Amino acid sequence: MIAGIDLGTTNSLIGVYDSGFPTLLANREGHRLTPSVVFYGENNQILVGSEARRLQSIHPERCISSVKRLIGRRLGDDGTGGMRGTKGTAATITIGDRSLLPEEISAEILKKLKAVAEDRLGTEITRTVITVPAYFNDAQRAATRKAGELAGFTVERIVSEPTAAALAYGLDRLAEKSKIAVYDLGGGTFDLSILQLDNGVFQVLSSHGDTRLGGDDLDDVISKLLIRKACIKIDSPGSSIRLLEAARAAKENLSLLEETVVRLPFFDGTKSLEIPLTRSEIDEACAPLIQRTRLHCLRSLEDAGVSASDLDEVILVGGSTRMPLVRKFASEIFGKQPNLSQHPDEAVAIGAVLQGAILDGSLRNVALLDVTPLSLGIETFGGLMNIIIPRNTTIPVKAGEMFTNAVAGQSGMRITVLQGERELANDNWTLGSFDIPFPRASKGTARIGVQFSIDADGILQVLARDTTTGNEKIIEVRSAVEVSDEAVEAMLAGSLEHAFEDMDARIFTEARLKAEEMLPAVETALTQLSTELPAEEVLEIRRQAAAVKAAMESKETIRLKQELVTLDNITQNLATRLMEKAMM
Amino acid sequence: MPDPFAVLGLSKRPLLSEEQIGDAYRKLAGELHPDQLGGDVGRFREIGEAAAILRDPSKRLRALTEEKSGGLLPEMAADLFPKISALIQRADSLIEKQLAASNVLSKALLIAPLRAVSEELESLLTQLRTWHTSLEKELAGIDKAWPECDHNAMNLLADSFAYAIRWEGQLREMRLALDAALA
Repeated sequence: MIAGIDLGTTNSLIGVYDSGFPTLLANREGHRLTPSVVFYGENNQILVGSEARRLQSIHPERCISSVKRLIGRRLGDDGTGGMRGTKGTAATITIGDRSLLPEEISAEILKKLKAVAEDRLGTEITRTVITVPAYFNDAQRAATRKAGELAGFTVERIVSEPTAAALAYGLDRLAEKSKIAVYDLGGGTFDLSILQLDNGVFQVLSSHGDTRLGGDDLDDVISKLLIRKACIKIDSPGSSIRLLEAARAAKENLSLLEETVVRLPFFDGTKSLEIPLTRSEIDEACAPLIQRTRLHCLRSLEDAGVSASDLDEVILVGGSTRMPLVRKFASEIFGKQPNLSQHPDEAVAIGAVLQGAILDGSLRNVALLDVTPLSLGIETFGGLMNIIIPRNTTIPVKAGEMFTNAVAGQSGMRITVLQGERELANDNWTLGSFDIPFPRASKGTARIGVQFSIDADGILQVLARDTTTGNEKIIEVRSAVEVSDEAVEAMLAGSLEHAFEDMDARIFTEARLKAEEMLPAVETALTQLSTELPAEEVLEIRRQAAAVKAAMESKETIRLKQELVTLDNITQNLATRLMEKAMM
Repeated sequence: MPDPFAVLGLSKRPLLSEEQIGDAYRKLAGELHPDQLGGDVGRFREIGEAAAILRDPSKRLRALTEEKSGGLLPEMAADLFPKISALIQRADSLIEKQLAASNVLSKALLIAPLRAVSEELESLLTQLRTWHTSLEKELAGIDKAWPECDHNAMNLLADSFAYAIRWEGQLREMRLALDAALA
């Protein structure tokens, strides 16, 4: 029996395929949803789920939530700003005197789910399928697999969440042929996948997403709104978590009601707060975030070669799609009412269970054709990325290309394996690199074949072969988080050099660059709008521009920064007018 | 590489719809996927490669003439190329400036030129679309006369398709990037 697990940012679920039906299993409290929160107490006590969540505002320093946002990430990536450690190494989390990797924390959640299932079924569960966001890269997938292994599972497959949700949707429509989009906005991630369903075959045509966009971000925006409305001061991590919890509760209430009151009893120890909040207020605050999903939807349609009107259904899943604003956005983007037939919290887990049933043979005549979400390639001479397997290619797949030496007398080539969509190699994710030697050759005479193959699990194998000597090297890219010792040392050396640089000089240079960009912009804007602006305003702006110039010459860092802020502020109106003019 | 038509069990001819290819591919893929009992990863990859060739009219034509691309330059492509490359360069540099701009004023100044580029892009896309439609008509004509055919015409048509499809893809990608820069 293979269990299916949805390892979510906010909540996780486990289920099994039992006598022909997918069944999700409830924990001891009777809930199928187990909060993805882990509490690390003193004396090595570990609590997972709602017990841990209850302790979060009392012991914020001992509780970890939303660890999925950090899994498989390296320091220096977006969103690891507050983390400690060396840039480029895996992000670790320090609790008390313990230093934990995100996959170790995720493993605790998985162990808890394993116990839930074993408790309910009375048998040992060792095999599992775990879901991840479609847009997770190789390192994030590998770290999730590692978490499963740490929890004592054999991980039979890592499957993409929207694909799993499509399976859940399509299970009772196996004889049909249709094109669907799955819009999956969860606690921390967003994915949009387009699939063709055809007589039990689920073919993913394209996938796009944002691994840093979800309900957590909406809660954050709403809590900032509450801070502004009630002039709240946040003085401890505990009160910040209480506020976030209140924001989340308000968001959930406002999915059903038009208005609510956020109550925070004895918020700063003595004062209790009551803040009225309406749906339109949170909609206004959240709209820019939801707007970000639009581009991913358009890209997915583009890659699938499908127009919105070709879609038979747009399926919404993920807890955040309960928000009326999200539903409205989805229906605007696709020009049709979204399909709400799937349980927003459970569809992905059901799909994971179904994939498990396909793998152990208990579900027949259903096949899932998934894709690799990000392009894979190698770095070529000049620091560019040469794509070998383009994004949205059905896996398993094998593809290759021939390369030659760019420099005369070269006797080897370094193969750097990249993942991502950017043109410059450096802007993409490096999965690993290795050297392939060849006999010293004059320019353009070496013949090196590079072959990429991805198996059904999404594991990439890279083979490089010198076709003249037959000499070859194969690497399997399992975990991209592992960085060699020398690389870490080199990075350390780099950071030490920077540490002794004159901070003031650097800050001044930054401010000077900003001024050099801003002053000509002000001049151009004034010329374009000369007839429409009141003379006083023009005068005031010119005076401030002169003040910035003077501050630049004085080389006083703080003065320059202050004058720039003032210039920025008094040209806001100018910017607004320019934008309006351009839109006309 | 085995004959892609034979691999998918399709009849060998110039005109094949996306639907015909997709249906044939999915039927076989459902049986050959390695998760299935009796699955075969080698053959699964093979049908994937065959479908990718047949979906692209340029590669499909080359598979019929069995001739490699001769680097032919159709008249229309020679005409469009300078316009497209100039536009892409301009749009790239504007988008780069927009991303680098650290203040609202500089960003606001870029909106008008971004919109101008975006309009020009739409007009080029329309031209490409028209060209693409005329190529499809030509393909239908060749299909009608099939199996009688003129290899030279088919090769030129194959290269025309390759340019049209590639540029359309690039411009549509650029349209999304401009869209994001203007949002």
